[in-house]
Amino acid sequence: MREVAGSERRSPAGDGQGPKANATGPWAEHLGPGATVIRFEINGAPQSVCAPPTRRLVDILREDLDLTGTKVGCDIGRCGACTVLMDGQPVNACLVMAYQAAGASVLTIEGLASAREGTEAVAGSLWLHPIQRAFLDAGGFQCGYCTPGMILASKALLDEHPQPTEEQVREALAGNLCRCTGYAGVWRAIELAAAWMGRSAP
Amino acid sequence: MGNEVTVRSDVASKLRGETRYVADIHLPGELYGGVVRSPHAHARIVKVDVEKARAIPGVQAVLTADDVPGGAYGPTQFKDWNILAKDRVLFVGDEVVAVAATSEAALRAALAAVEVTYELLPAVLQPEEALAPGAPVVHDEQPDNRPMHVQLERGDVDAAFAKAHIIRGGRYTTNRIYQGHLEPIGVLANWSEEEGLTIWAPSHIPYRARETYAAAFGLPEDKVRIVVPPIGGSFGAKYVLKAHVIAAALAMAAKQPVRMVFDRYEDMLTAHPRVPLTIDIRIAADAEGRFLGKDVVVWGDAGARVYWSPNVMATACTRPDSLYHFGAVRAEGHLCYTNHSPTTCMRGFGNAEMLFAVESVIDEIADGLGIDPVEIRLRNIVRRGEVTIHGYQLDSCELEACLRQAAELSGWARRQALPPNRGLGVALGNHVSGYRGIDSRFEGSTAVARLRDDGRVEIETGEIDLGQGMSATYAAIAARVLEISVDSVIVKSGDTARYPFGIGTLASRSTVMGGNAVKLAAEQLRQQLTVFAQGEYGADVELIGGVVQSGGAAHSLAEVAARYRSRYAGDTLEVRASYRPETDFPGKDFYGNPSPAYPFAAHVAEVEVDPETGRVRVVGYWAVHDAGVVLNRTAAIGQVVGGVAQGIGWATMEDLVVAEGQVKNLSLLDYRMPGASDIPPVSVSFVEVPDPHGPFGAKSVGEVAIDPAPAAVANAIANAIGARGRHLPLSPERVWRLLHAEEEQR
Ligand code: FES
Ligand code: FES
Repeated sequence: MREVAGSERRSPAGDGQGPKANATGPWAEHLGPGATVIRFEINGAPQSVCAPPTRRLVDILREDLDLTGTKVGCDIGRCGACTVLMDGQPVNACLVMAYQAAGASVLTIEGLASAREGTEAVAGSLWLHPIQRAFLDAGGFQCGYCTPGMILASKALLDEHPQPTEEQVREALAGNLCRCTGYAGVWRAIELAAAWMGRSAP
Repeated sequence: MGNEVTVRSDVASKLRGETRYVADIHLPGELYGGVVRSPHAHARIVKVDVEKARAIPGVQAVLTADDVPGGAYGPTQFKDWNILAKDRVLFVGDEVVAVAATSEAALRAALAAVEVTYELLPAVLQPEEALAPGAPVVHDEQPDNRPMHVQLERGDVDAAFAKAHIIRGGRYTTNRIYQGHLEPIGVLANWSEEEGLTIWAPSHIPYRARETYAAAFGLPEDKVRIVVPPIGGSFGAKYVLKAHVIAAALAMAAKQPVRMVFDRYEDMLTAHPRVPLTIDIRIAADAEGRFLGKDVVVWGDAGARVYWSPNVMATACTRPDSLYHFGAVRAEGHLCYTNHSPTTCMRGFGNAEMLFAVESVIDEIADGLGIDPVEIRLRNIVRRGEVTIHGYQLDSCELEACLRQAAELSGWARRQALPPNRGLGVALGNHVSGYRGIDSRFEGSTAVARLRDDGRVEIETGEIDLGQGMSATYAAIAARVLEISVDSVIVKSGDTARYPFGIGTLASRSTVMGGNAVKLAAEQLRQQLTVFAQGEYGADVELIGGVVQSGGAAHSLAEVAARYRSRYAGDTLEVRASYRPETDFPGKDFYGNPSPAYPFAAHVAEVEVDPETGRVRVVGYWAVHDAGVVLNRTAAIGQVVGGVAQGIGWATMEDLVVAEGQVKNLSLLDYRMPGASDIPPVSVSFVEVPDPHGPFGAKSVGEVAIDPAPAAVANAIANAIGARGRHLPLSPERVWRLLHAEEEQR
């Protein structure tokens, strides 16, 4: 974990071994008022951070845990670039406060390829989840900035509706903006992933 | 499932969330940079007090105009930029004081502690008002507020109008469109005495950025290095930016790295949107619908400084004239300074704006003559082999085939029998594949091709991939020339200290300019490799399937690479090639052939209008493109659909609302961009005929994808409701008013 001198927004993050600092230690002044230890599960591993209860989940992920695959596009819950799955449900991590995430199981894009179901190798050591692979084959992204959020929104959709209707896809993507693709590639990717995953693990 | 594929690792990283955009990069000891901006459209700076800000713990640098070089500079030939405002602020958001601090909290406290006293000055907020005598002057060096004045006539326009059977036209306006890049503007800058400035700047014209920033600080160009991280969308927003300059100034002052990443609010507050145009247009035709003349006067709002608005204006004034035979054409363009945030380019670059007006008027002429809109276009379009009125040499042009196919695929014949409130609209578009006028000094592109130790081939280019598939296209071109697999080609770009010079990714340059350079470099590498291998293995060598064959023996490229190094003191086999197109610089008269290859498109949109609310839903869309030979189909389709989606948003919902110089809709909730449910399935097809100048016959597709879209939607709406909307966006309110005949005369 990288720490940047003097940044009040960086807390000494846990590494799965439990907290390294608490709010009354020398870090307290950096952490802001009322910082507490918050425990949750990230990508399958227990994690704890020391943060004020109102610190945004997206900042915890990006800044404290260096999980920068979760993006920030709007800060107000409109663009979906910060979408992660919390206990399987898609949420905008820019709107979730630390205390709301306490005890939850969070899946970010970094955890997807290693999430159990049917991953496969594509380039040397790089692994992709079938949904990621479908985004690749179908042209579901260009600049890639919306992509982690799109992929996680798609995963939530396919977990709930393995063979989604058009209406269900529309609804699932309602919270995710993409300025590059015009969404056609995203639709195709979801169809492709549904077809693959419907045929059991590839 | 699927075939065996290998993915270039940068593409896979985007899917895995591993791509590091600028906001994801950190340097040890980095400071947080921020800017105190003008809250006024136009004011005199009476006093700047930074003492309190300087005293805040953690504040490492506070800069005013007195602390930075004061010379004028700029990315184009118009040098009207400063680093920080000195005597006057010229628009809301103009930069007055810059701060760097060790924490965001200290930064915010310092920004709030800066006290600036202003004396309000009258502002000029309309281009036409800017030209009026006695208008407030934005730059003393340009007392008429008009940095560019286009005046152009080819043929006798007055005579053409005098003999016309029908004349249609009116005033059309295009709106201020926010590029809507999902990744907000950000930058990271570092300074050291030895190395000079290093700026991590997502810019797709990094060499122009380097030149501009070097001029700003009076540094030699080799003391400025631009490193381009992956870019999270631009569409014209991320060229050369003041944010980069200010971060650099702070890094120089603090002697520490400075990061400045805007949130969406600041990104929109300081946005440099599409140049809004006011267009007075008339087109004359004979009784058969053949055009006789076109006459336009255009006012463009450049805002308070020149970014790329002159190119936008020039394009608006000329480009559609190489799509149709207008007979005689006249254009007058007034590019005006105002007290708005500077405006700049966005995909489409003035052509899509003018085509909105042109294509609307063509439909009105068709209506007036009782000729079908497809038919009237067929009577007037340009064709292969022609030299257009402005000198464009059309060595390939499948526009007619595109139009016929779009009509067929969309079921254009249905148009007569559509249910009420449904409409079909057609529009055409053209563009360039690189534009000679972008830089008066040179045009073209350079690539390096190198045989690596592992036997793979490395391509270096000065052009920039924005996710449009440029690197994959270059890899495909090199692979084809060298007859090796695409996976054995690695494409590198995005660092002015490491890679060859490139003019950058604008004017739809990358496929033809960079692609031809890559092709040349790969050809030369192949040739040199063969000559070297002949010396090593015998005259009969052949490069087949990535292996050198000779006398029954096969030698891997890795072996050849090792032999080469052993013979040449460890040096690697590499070549450097420049592609220089034979094009003409469009001078004051805008005559000449400015691009090696011209792409074309025909689009049909189908809309449904809700008469109760005026809300428009685009329910069908057909895009047929002449992009020459398509080298990367998935990417090309992605470009077209993405362009169409932006065009639909532009025409129906998007508008950066500015009142008294202040942007009003400063969030992605208030500035609505299309979501998945706003875009219908888009049918994309290509008429593939090789262009003699494109690499393997390819032409560009990125910008022509949006060119016809606003017009196609507008024409479909007019068809649906029987009334013509002349002002974009055709928002529910505007459409409702049209339906109720309150806003515009029909
Ligand atoms: S950043 Fe969270 S929804 Fe946009
Ligand atoms: S791929 Fe760029 S915003 Fe979706």
